[in-house]
Parts: sequence; C-alpha cells; structure tokens
Amino acid sequence: MNDILVTAATRVGNPAVDEWKAEGKGIIGHVCSHVPEEIITAAGLFPYRLRGIETQSTSIGDTYFGPFICSCPKAILENAGRGKYSFLDGAIMVQACDSMRRLDECWRKAGEDYPGIVPPFFHYMGVPHKVTDYAIDWFVEELEKFAAALEAQFGGKVTSEALAEAVSLHNETRRLLIRLEEMRAMDNPPLSGEEAMTLILAGTAMPKSVYNPLLAEELDAVSGRDGGHGGKIRILLAGSVVDDLAMFRTIEAEGAVVVADTVCFGSRDYDGLVEEENPSFKSLARRYLNEQFCPRMFGYYQKRLDVLKKKIADANVDGVILQNIRFCDLHGSENGLFERDLEAMGIPCLRVEREYGPLGDEGRVRMRVSAFLERIAQAA
Amino acid sequence: MRAALSEYNYDWTLYAMFSTAANTLNGSRKEYERMLPRVSTFRGIIEPVMATGEPGKLFLQGMGEYLRRVVNAHQEGKKLCLTTFCQAPALFWAMDIVPILLEPMTVAGTLVHKGGTSEFMDYCVEKGFTETSCSSQRGALGAYLCGLAEPPDMVVIDTPGICDTNANSFSFFAAHENIPFYQLNYPPELTADRSREYHRKDYRNLIAFLEEQTGKKLDPQRLAGVIAEMEKQDRLICDIQDLQRVVPSPVPIIYNFFIYALRFTMGGRKEATDMLAAMLECAMDNAANGRSGFLSGEERARGLFVYIDHYSMNLPLWMFLEEKGITHLGGILDRFYQARAPYAGDAGYSLSMDSLDAMIDTLADANSRLPMVKQIRGPYDARDMWLEEALSLAKLYNADFAVYSGTPGCRNTWGMVKLLARDLEKAGIPTLVLNSDAFDDRVESWSNTKHRIEEFLEVRRIAG
Repeated sequence: MNDILVTAATRVGNPAVDEWKAEGKGIIGHVCSHVPEEIITAAGLFPYRLRGIETQSTSIGDTYFGPFICSCPKAILENAGRGKYSFLDGAIMVQACDSMRRLDECWRKAGEDYPGIVPPFFHYMGVPHKVTDYAIDWFVEELEKFAAALEAQFGGKVTSEALAEAVSLHNETRRLLIRLEEMRAMDNPPLSGEEAMTLILAGTAMPKSVYNPLLAEELDAVSGRDGGHGGKIRILLAGSVVDDLAMFRTIEAEGAVVVADTVCFGSRDYDGLVEEENPSFKSLARRYLNEQFCPRMFGYYQKRLDVLKKKIADANVDGVILQNIRFCDLHGSENGLFERDLEAMGIPCLRVEREYGPLGDEGRVRMRVSAFLERIAQAA
Repeated sequence: MRAALSEYNYDWTLYAMFSTAANTLNGSRKEYERMLPRVSTFRGIIEPVMATGEPGKLFLQGMGEYLRRVVNAHQEGKKLCLTTFCQAPALFWAMDIVPILLEPMTVAGTLVHKGGTSEFMDYCVEKGFTETSCSSQRGALGAYLCGLAEPPDMVVIDTPGICDTNANSFSFFAAHENIPFYQLNYPPELTADRSREYHRKDYRNLIAFLEEQTGKKLDPQRLAGVIAEMEKQDRLICDIQDLQRVVPSPVPIIYNFFIYALRFTMGGRKEATDMLAAMLECAMDNAANGRSGFLSGEERARGLFVYIDHYSMNLPLWMFLEEKGITHLGGILDRFYQARAPYAGDAGYSLSMDSLDAMIDTLADANSRLPMVKQIRGPYDARDMWLEEALSLAKLYNADFAVYSGTPGCRNTWGMVKLLARDLEKAGIPTLVLNSDAFDDRVESWSNTKHRIEEFLEVRRIAG
C-alpha cells in the first residue's frame, strides 16, 4: 500500500499536510461527520478530520474536561495542547454529542494556559437533531454563516461553481469508498478490514484532490486479488467512533475478517451522495441530516436498524461487534437495542465497552472477541 | 431485583404513600402519630414537610393528586405521555393527556424507598441501557421497562441539543417499547430571532403530534384556562424568588424543593397555584416580622446551587442546610425566566392569551427557558448560558458560595463544570464541585458528601 496513505491513516501529521502548508494554503480541522466538508473545500481550504491518535495520556484533556467524559475529545485536546495540531488554520466545533460539543470551550480555555494552541479561526456550528423542513432551513442558515465566516477569515469566495466542483470531488471520494465497500463484501475479500480502514482513514487527513487518485490506484491494484480471507468469520463493526487500526487488528488477529462497518470514520462518512445537479447549501443540508447513522439523531432507531440489516445482508455477515467508548451512552444503549433485535433474527452480536484510542484494554477486548468468534464457529 | 420490589407497581406505591400521608393531615394529631410507624421510610419526609404548615400540606396533597392521575389515567380514558422534567406539563394538561415526569418520579422513589431506586437503575442495564447514563432517568425508567407502572402511550422530550443523555433515555424507551416518539429540538442560541422561530414551528409540530395521538384537536378555551393558571403561578414564583433576595431570607429553604416538585408535575393546574400562594403568604409573613425562613431563625450563609440538588431518603441536604443556617438560594431547577423574574434580564418570556397563535407562541417561549433547556444549550460562556446566569444569580442573591451537585451521567455539565468553577472562583465566589450522584447514594454516601461540604465550608471560612 502507498506509504502516503499509510502515514495519513496512522499519524496526525503526514506529507499531504506538509505539502499543502508549503503551498501557503489553509487547513481546517473538524470533529464530526455532520460537517459538510464541501464548503471548506469550496473555500480553497483542506478539511481535516481531527483525531486523538498518538496520545500517551490525557493529562491536559483531564485538566479541562470532567472525569465522566468520553476519552475521544480529551485525546483530541491532548494533541492540541501538545502542539500536534499547530498546522491548523482553523477548527470547527460542532454540537455533535455532549462530550464532543464541550471540546469547544475546553479547547478555548486550555488556550489561556497553553498560548497558541487555539487556531486563529475557531467556529461553533449548530446541527439539528431532527429532519424536518424547518430543521433543514435552519441548518442551511448555519451553513451560510459558516461559509461567510470562512470567506471573512481566509478571503476566498464560496461561489456556486466552487461548490459544484467541491460536491463533485467529494462525491467521487464517496463513490470510490462505496466501491471499496463492495470489494470488502465479496466472498473472498481482496483486503482485510485493517487494510480497508487504512484506506478510509487516509482520506480524512488528506485533501480529496490528492487522495482520490491514490485511492483509485489502490483499488485497481487490489481488485481481483486473493486476499486469503475466504472462509473466515465475517464481522461487521458498529458503534462509537473508531479511528485507529488497533480494533481491526485485534479482531482480525483472532481469525476473523471485518467486511463491513457503520462507524463514523467508516461507512457513515461516505454513505449517500450530495445532489450534483445545481448543488446548493440546501442539497448539503439534506444529505448531512438525512444520510447520517449517528444516534445523536434521536428517534430514528428503526431507520438505523434497517441500514444495519441491509449492510449485514449485503456483506453476508456472520456476526456483529457492537462497541462503545465508555460514557458514550448514545451508542452504548443503542447497541443494547441492536443486540436485542439482531439476536432475535439469529445474528450473533457482541457488545463491548472500551476506551478510545489504541486499545489500553486490548487483552480484555481480545478475550471477548475470541470467545465471540468461538461461539459463531460452534454454531456454524 | 428483589421480589418485594415487584409486588406492587412503582407508580401505585408512590401514589399510596403520598396520598395516605396527605389524607392523615385531615385527621387528629393522634391519628397522624399512629400513621407514622406505618410509613417508616417516609417518616423523615413527612415530619419536615409538615413542619412548614399549610404549604407542606398542599405539597403532599398536590403530589398525591398528581400520582392519582398517573395511576388512573387509562381507567379514566386518558393517554399517558412519558416526558422530561424540563418539558412544561401545561400543554399536556390542556390536551387532557397525563404527563409522566420521569425525573420527579425518580426523585419521589428516591425519597420514599429505602435504597432509593437503585434496583430499577440496575434493571435498565439488564435491558441494554448503559450504566453510565443519567441516574435521574434510570431510576424510574427501570420500573417502566419492567412493566411495574402504567405503560406510557407516547414519549415527548425537549432535550435534543440540550442534554444527549437525557434525550437518549427517552428515545431508548420509545424504541424499546415501540411507542410513538416526538422530540422538540433546540438550537444553541436562546434569544436569536431564528431560534425563536424554530422553537415556535417545532412546538406547533408537537401539538400536531399530540392531536394525532389523542384524536382530539387542541381546545383554545381549555388552553387559555391552563395558561391563566400558569400566569398566576409565574407571578407567585417571581414574588417568592424576589423575597429570597432579602437578607436574611424569609423563605424557608425547603420551598425550592416544593417548587421543583409541583411546578414540574402540576404546572398549569390549581393544585400548584394553591401551594405557591400558601408559600408566598408564609414568606411574606416572615418578611413582615423580620424573621428568616429558618426554624432556628438565624441565617449564617447563603449558598447557590448552580445545577441541581441532592436527593436521598429523608431530604438530608435540606436538613443539613437547615441545621447549618445556610439559605438554599435555589438552582437551575427552580428558575423559569418569566420576564418579571428578578434574574430574567432581557431573556424572559411573557405569557399571552390574546389569540390561539399567541398562546402557542408564548408556551413555546416558556418551554425554551425551562431548566437546562435555557442554560446548557450552547457554549457555557455564551450569552444567556450557564456562566452568565451563575454570576448574575450569585450577585443578585448575595451568594457566599456556589455548589455544583449533579450526576456522573451528566456528560454535558461535566464537560464544562471545571471551567465554570474556575470562572466563579475568579469572580470571588468560592465554588465546590461535588462528585456525588444526586439520585444514587451508591456513588457516594450522603455522609461522605456532607463531609465534603463541611470541609469546604471550614476551609473557605463560610458559616463558621
């Protein structure tokens, strides 16, 4: 696999970031799959999805957040506090979930103690929790405010032409990732789940214009390859954010292959295209509110269950691993419902709670996964 | 779960306790004393409540009546709606729907059951709900999940965008039981025109949902009656909270608990109005005679609870404050942001009965200013939000200190409480952050919590 993609998938900084900065162009970090990246791209900037990878502790994060908070935003703040995000020219804070939305003030306040860690452009964006005509209209206004703020700060103009180009570029990424998903669903997938996730993650840390050709090349290269995964137990991974490869490695080290997912750095980020004919902020608002799988959208459980069932059928899944980061009640309790409903359909499920990041509790998770795979194997 | 706990329905048990207690008030002193041994786990509440005289009596009667309505709703042909404490019940009463206010139901169980609602909390986990979720919902929710209560017909919430953990409890229940669900959603800002428009459109959608569920149109006459009652309640609450500014405060400290209980359950009903009127009368009498609201008569310090209170059996927080002579200046649970409230500034609402549209609009405005819904929807230091409110209340009410009491399940406030405490301290307000769980003594026993408060008061030389 191309080294640039591997580095982008596994490191905070990567050559694509360096090259972009060397050209004097801006990078905007954000924390949620509800942020329409197309607007950032249309403004001539590079949307970068923030992660807490590479953290060794959360000592800075713990200073500002309270103790009963998901470790993901704490790890992101840790990276910011340690200067790892010094390449950012801006950051978008989003009303994603309770823990993540509080990154806004914790980061700003940490900036009082660690000068220079808050990017010069720091913007808070509201995202509705429901899909109605007035919620979409409200979100459109929020996107207009966001675009205007970018224009004021960076001088570019989010024109209709630039937006149409950005939509086309990001849809191309989505189409390529959907192609990757179809490859993973094959009887003998040409890639492991870890390899597939490497390709997916890289796209969140590179400009799409650089990423798309590299991804297309990789897909062509592996197409038709015997990945050696035929006959393995086929797993779908669901639940809280997974943005490092350790979870995939742990599952696959036990003899399974992850053939599908619904996590927000995975398929949740690329499912559903934006309308390409005369795209507008309204088209973006529709896509970003309608095509999201996150339980922050309250009252849409049945819709999410239907998506999950379809992915299970499409990828001929043998078992579902439903994981949540501790204190992520949204995924944690929805996992309880999924477990009830999927098990009733005869689909084995494993519910597991974990910490964010490279698995601090890898041994425990490995043991749970191992027992789960044994259960599936015995039933076969 | 112990078999004993599932012998009677949870809601019925609460109803029996409160209504029996209220009924004994009509008897002789001897009858009352003979009743006490029969309600051993409730005794610690009845006595301090009774000591407040008429307001306490009306509180018990009001709670008894509310619980009677919950228990008998289906028998009386009414729909039951599971909802949250920060959702004004007035609209439900106006539409002949009985609201089940989940958090006050948890508090009621915590006060009267030995061991609180811990076994119901654990039962939620058995049904797939996370143990890290907010205990204020998990307590009573467990009883509803295991079928030990009249089953709700629908779920309505207003916490998406405010508190995910809260909203999640209700959406989990609706999905688990497969019953209709409606959410009012709130943008991060409170007073912007577009936020107001959003509130109002969303509120009209809620009415359409309730009409669909009940098969009945909203009756403007009936709505006007409920709003008129709300208006009276608002005036009484504002007057009581105005009196709290007096030093020493003539308002008995347990009143904020009474307001919490009946405003959330019986808002817009006469029972709550009567209780509030009796409370105001007592407080005004104290004020006229230069008395503090304490039984001891002496106010030694004034404490602002910047979030919620602490509920354990026998109301130990209030007993402790009473003993120490510390005035409870209220928390976010008893601030409603009526335009004439002393703390409302330009963020307050005024109720209108000019037309059906005006009534709906002002109800939507009132709803969007309820506890939590008002303070924690946006960044904590943004306009109208938590920091601005805490600083303004501390100044207005001459607070000597501030306390954060909450639950570990509160992701939202735990994400910013350290920052809030730091800012309050910078403003010269000694601030204590408690790690205890307001609804679950297993997280930290009351005696430990009490010790932490005492230590704080001693170190900061308050009420010494």
